[in-house]
Amino acid sequence: MPTISIFKDDLESLLNSRRAGAVSIDQIEEWLMLVKGELKGHNAETGELRVELQDSNRPDLWCCEGIARQIRIKQQGKLRAYPFLSKQSKPTQRVIVGAGMERVRPYVAACTAKGYRVTQEGLAQLIQTQEKLADIFGHKRKTVSIGIYQLQKIAFPVTYELVKPDEARFTPLGMETVMTLSEILMVHPKGLEHGRILAGHSRLPILRDAKHQPLSFPPIINSREIGEVRVGDDELFVEVTGTDLAMVVLTLNIFAVNLADRGAMIEPVAVQYPHKTPLGRQVVTPQDLGKPRSIRIETIERALGQALGGKTVTQALKTYGYDVSAGKSAVKAKLPPYRQDLMHEMDVVEDVAMSCGYGSFAPEMPAQFTVGGLSRIEQTSDRARELMVGLGFQEIISNILGSPESYSTAMRLDGTGWGKMVEVDNAMAVTFSALRQWMLPSLLRVEAASNRAFYPHRLFEAGDVAIPDPAHELGSRTDTVLGAVLAHASAHFSEIHSCLDVLFYHLGQEYSLEPVQHPSFLEGRAGHIIVAGKPVGVIGEVHPEVLERWQISVPVVSFDVNLSQLTERA
Amino acid sequence: MDTTSSFDNLHPLEIKVLTAFGAGPSGTVLTTEQLAAATALEPSQLSMAIEWLLAKQLLVVQSETITPVASLTPLGDTYFEQSSPVERILSAARDASSTGKRLTIPDLHAKEGLDPADVSKAVGRLKKEGALLIVQGGCLESTGRPSPSTEAMRAILQQLHDAPREMEQFPEPSRQLIQEHAVRRGSAKEPFRVEDRVARWYVLSPEGTAAVDYVATQATVDEVSQLSPELLKDGSWRRKRFRKYTISLRAPRVGIGKKHPYREFLDTVKTKLVSMGFQEMRGSLVETEFWNMDALFMPQFHPARDIHDVYFVKDPTHAAKIAEPFVSRVTKAHENGGATGSTGWRYAFDGERAKRLVLRSQGTAVSARTLAAAPEAPGKYFSIARCFRYDQVDATHATDFFQVEGIVLGEDINFRTLLGLLNLFAREVAQAKEVKFLPAYFPFTEPSVEMHVRHPRLGWMELGGAGLFRREVTLPLGVTVPVIAWGLGLDRMAMVALGIHDIRELFTDSLELIRTTRGIF
Repeated sequence: MPTISIFKDDLESLLNSRRAGAVSIDQIEEWLMLVKGELKGHNAETGELRVELQDSNRPDLWCCEGIARQIRIKQQGKLRAYPFLSKQSKPTQRVIVGAGMERVRPYVAACTAKGYRVTQEGLAQLIQTQEKLADIFGHKRKTVSIGIYQLQKIAFPVTYELVKPDEARFTPLGMETVMTLSEILMVHPKGLEHGRILAGHSRLPILRDAKHQPLSFPPIINSREIGEVRVGDDELFVEVTGTDLAMVVLTLNIFAVNLADRGAMIEPVAVQYPHKTPLGRQVVTPQDLGKPRSIRIETIERALGQALGGKTVTQALKTYGYDVSAGKSAVKAKLPPYRQDLMHEMDVVEDVAMSCGYGSFAPEMPAQFTVGGLSRIEQTSDRARELMVGLGFQEIISNILGSPESYSTAMRLDGTGWGKMVEVDNAMAVTFSALRQWMLPSLLRVEAASNRAFYPHRLFEAGDVAIPDPAHELGSRTDTVLGAVLAHASAHFSEIHSCLDVLFYHLGQEYSLEPVQHPSFLEGRAGHIIVAGKPVGVIGEVHPEVLERWQISVPVVSFDVNLSQLTERA
Repeated sequence: MDTTSSFDNLHPLEIKVLTAFGAGPSGTVLTTEQLAAATALEPSQLSMAIEWLLAKQLLVVQSETITPVASLTPLGDTYFEQSSPVERILSAARDASSTGKRLTIPDLHAKEGLDPADVSKAVGRLKKEGALLIVQGGCLESTGRPSPSTEAMRAILQQLHDAPREMEQFPEPSRQLIQEHAVRRGSAKEPFRVEDRVARWYVLSPEGTAAVDYVATQATVDEVSQLSPELLKDGSWRRKRFRKYTISLRAPRVGIGKKHPYREFLDTVKTKLVSMGFQEMRGSLVETEFWNMDALFMPQFHPARDIHDVYFVKDPTHAAKIAEPFVSRVTKAHENGGATGSTGWRYAFDGERAKRLVLRSQGTAVSARTLAAAPEAPGKYFSIARCFRYDQVDATHATDFFQVEGIVLGEDINFRTLLGLLNLFAREVAQAKEVKFLPAYFPFTEPSVEMHVRHPRLGWMELGGAGLFRREVTLPLGVTVPVIAWGLGLDRMAMVALGIHDIRELFTDSLELIRTTRGIF
């Protein structure tokens, strides 16, 4: 979730704080609870605050304006009015959508903002908001991307249409020369980064004004001539394009209220489509898409475990930005226009709790009685671990994700059934690309690194392994396995056999050993551990070639016992 | 210090050496060789006993001389028994002269099997002495004149073969020859070795003399070091004196059987959870995206579901099917909320994607499976599950780690009982009295809480996250009562308590480290 950078005096001025620098960091941290924000860093010299915003469904909070707004509503008791959202506000300009856009990038929303002179901090926030929203909320510009322009350079109406890649050309931001759209895709860093969004389309989207001047090539890059905003500009044109109309409108709404909060006059724009959209053929943006939802007060009270009453609930929601009207047993609540995250009643419940403050709810112990206990396999595993400790073995723990080299190749198991393991498709490194299928390699890992630790070495680990099994619904079984090794100058089979024998005696298991030709062990010195006629493990003297591969210079004897199978057999 | 008690601690070997002095008149000076003869001890035993006595200051070194002694190396023995390279070259040259054959330096390499470096050195010397000529065509020719150095070498080989000799016994030219052909750093292949022989003369210190006297008075009782079954059987231990030990010495180390300190910590947590009425759940390391994420109402376009956040299984890539009715219900929950009272995420759910096999990335997957398996209500469940994250491995990120997670179901579950449960965890697991609850975000809970506690030793830290499972999670899985989902972040607490700064050390491969780390929980 995004971590953003804001400036303390910018926050204070958006909060209409009378004295600059009057707000303490402790106060800010407390306010941040209203927005699920966590202060990650503070530079006292520059006043920069690094804030992590947790809620991935609240893109309106990923900027200084949004954080300030949520705090301000609490302080002022309700959300301010945004006149440009009322039905009376008539659009003065138009954007015309061309044919075929629905197959490429169907939707666009836009507005103009006048009368706010862009400041240094305002520009930094504008750019940051644009990046975070397009990147995280807009899935790396796939579903939503944003462009901001100098309004006075644009002749309306603006058209949003498809062109052939070599038909349109302009100087993109960050370049000195005129380029065609296909050149931008091949050469410009943003074209290379985001070009795949348009892959497979023979004609590409472009925004142009009435004089045919390109504004931008969405969602790739703006024109340098019109689409570069500077400090001091006071007339802006904002557009959002994307694949989901509700998300496109929401994103524009966020920019509109952000600019309005900084003092801009917002004028809506009418977008005309050649086809029907969920909001009609003509869509005026910004537009409040919120619908009031009726929620029973009892539902909220039950979920929070506290009798709040209609008045408190109404007040809590109002001071959190909702448009609320209270009924007898229910409230009618509508989200503010810059939010669309109300999926379920419980989302409102959480907002009530946050508005009241989590500290105002007294913790209460769940009173119902339940019986605790461990799973059967965990009980077996714990018993086996106790016995291994009693036998003088040191427990170790290992990562389960490792390399095929150590789990199979170095064990001389490649191409055998014992060498099959669950492998990862998108491994970051070959050293972490397979799940262990048995325990011995984990133990040899420690043995190989510990030739300076005094001998004898007696090691064990009890833990999960993944064993490929085509019959299983997940293609593999997760079993709990106990592995043990003994390593010293005269370690031999009968020593580890004695350990296995006493372990099985105390686990109450009858077993026998059957010779097995297992490549990891010396021939004639390895056996399957048989319980109820089926193998549950293997015991033996580790093959010298295996020891060489691990660069271990003392004899090692070991056993691996599948405790899950053992428990099933019992 | 009580000197007689320290005399009681004397080792039998020490007593033997001391007694050797006592046998002579007071002030006796003995060399190592003389001591060896008098005590009849092995050289190693003798030097050990002398070292001990010197350390105890019962014995002092009166004087010491260092004598260089020359001896033959194994190569020298070979030269003596067969011949040295110089002798072989000389005789080859003489043979060639008498038979009229040509002899070149490459011939010496090939036929005689001589080392080129040895050859060039030897030829140089022989030429200097006039015993050899190099004529046209690089042929070697014997002059018939003798080589004095070769003869001198032969004499030295003969002398040293009988026995090592002190360097002083050789005349100056021979000494120089020996030094030139002695083994040293950088030239190991030489016939001679010159070593310093240290000769020491020892005398007893006044304490040493006292010790000899003391030992003499005690000598009548037979001393033993070890009580044996034989001594016990015939009662003869009554006539024995048991040598006293220096018990203040450091004990030899012993390797014991014990649990891994981190597992021990997790065992404690496990026991606490069971004592609070929690049932253990188990799950699979490999899961479908369905149970790992879809069932938890994480939309398929969620950023944490990216290829860069989850490990995908290579083969098989997909599960054959997902059990009904869960897959239909979850599909509807995602697409339009279904019967959950939610709007859903409003996108087309991909049933194939749901079957994709991944390495379990969160312990909550285990909880989802439990919810679908008709859990008890009221009921409390936990799991300590190994999870995998697609992260670059570093001091704070491991490829796989333990997550302690669980659920609580019941009619009385609500936001306040959620806080109450977290309070209980804070008290029981972290022994913390002070707790802070902060709003948090998890895709599958609403409301969500993050808990920070003040640990008695470790200060404020985040202990875990929790929340009430969304209805979009519980209802499709067949659970109608409210459910708490909780998770505890214990790695950091364990690391601080174990004095570890790198998460990889929790799974260290160093046996020494594992043996010496104390569990302090």
